[in-house]
Amino acid sequence: MKVKVSFRLNGASKTDEIEPNQTLCDYLHDVTGTTSVKKGCDTGECGACTVLLDDMPVTSCLVLAPQVDGREVVTTEGLGTKSAPHPVQREFVEKDAVQCGYCIPGMIVTLSWIFEHAPGASDAEIKRLMSGNLCRCTGYLQQIEALKAARKRG
Amino acid sequence: MKSFQYLAPIPPFEYAAPRTLSELFETLDGHGKELQVMAGGTDLLIAMKERAVAPKIIVDLGRLRQELGGIAVEGGVLRIGSLATFSQIESSPFVARYADALRQAAANVGTLQIRSIATLGGNLATASPAADSAPPLIALGATVTLLSRSGQRSLPVQSVFAGPKRNGLRAGEIVSSVEIPANEEVRSVWTRSAVRNENALSTVSVAVASTVRDGRFGQSRVALGAVAPTPILAEKATRAMTGSEATTAQAERVAALAAEDAKPISDIRASAHYRKRLVLVLTKRLILQILSESMAP
Repeated sequence: MKVKVSFRLNGASKTDEIEPNQTLCDYLHDVTGTTSVKKGCDTGECGACTVLLDDMPVTSCLVLAPQVDGREVVTTEGLGTKSAPHPVQREFVEKDAVQCGYCIPGMIVTLSWIFEHAPGASDAEIKRLMSGNLCRCTGYLQQIEALKAARKRG
Repeated sequence: MKSFQYLAPIPPFEYAAPRTLSELFETLDGHGKELQVMAGGTDLLIAMKERAVAPKIIVDLGRLRQELGGIAVEGGVLRIGSLATFSQIESSPFVARYADALRQAAANVGTLQIRSIATLGGNLATASPAADSAPPLIALGATVTLLSRSGQRSLPVQSVFAGPKRNGLRAGEIVSSVEIPANEEVRSVWTRSAVRNENALSTVSVAVASTVRDGRFGQSRVALGAVAPTPILAEKATRAMTGSEATTAQAERVAALAAEDAKPISDIRASAHYRKRLVLVLTKRLILQILSESMAP
């Protein structure tokens, strides 16, 4: 039986009738066309599907789509645009922090949260906070550099 | 677009998200095992994808965050609502002041993404033997308030665990809150061993709470996770520590008794023998930590 959900997606109000047995990850990617939301492990280990739910990073593969009713969802599309990128998005380009790209949208969502909410976090703390985002290409160093550059330049 | 499935798709179920407690208890009424209450959902969704469970009805507590959330101190009690997330617990100054072992454990649960939505009540109701919130709560002498249509009752935290992944809740009952005595003199510490620092189930976890005054330990508790079918109070260790001389030699004796209290199994993460050894080492480390903190100016 379908259920009604009303929520905000990247700043816009959205109301939909949805089947409850789908994850937020599948719903965002397949139904709303928010294709930055990637499915990696589908078990909350890899972080590729990370989105902000009421300004907290969550793995959207472990959230049922109807759980977002009345709440706010932000994906990397909602953080910035090509002409006005989020400081973390801008520095990912500057620091070559991208290789294959699959983990990047989720990684940017997590690092943007660290940028906003843990501005004084040490390297060790940054690593702890980003441990839920796996990247098998880069080795993480460029991404940490990108976050630090974003802090410096704002 | 057809979505690629790594695990089987989640089978259909009916979904309800009550907006008041009375609506909740009406929804829960008359149902048995086919109904599953959901808090954050992080354990439940994995279990559903793995086909370990297949509920026909899911009741989402998510619209009751006002009623079942929050962290507050009132009348000498630290009260943590069942829907408080591990992120909220990790950053609460009340938890840091009165239940630091719980803060340490909360900061180590899963990943930032899991802590952002996983709840204390969900962790207890899921009843994993390795539930990281349980040893700190047991060591701190916490109780759990369970709420149902017919009223509420209070249980020691260890009594909420009936067996591996089996809780002691009755049909129609939910975890409402956790109550911890708010005593600033109590030092509580937690540690664990796991195959990785982050995002790993604990191989063994230990929490110790105590007060040190005039060279003696006051009321103390040693609690263990992942070394028995449920998290446990290490009874011999607890009895030996309470009221004893606060010395390094006593720390060693208590740690050895904690290893006797542990009844671990061998599994994919460690052998029973290694787990007992870990209990001894980690318990000793924690008691020495309490001793050195008590001597700090």
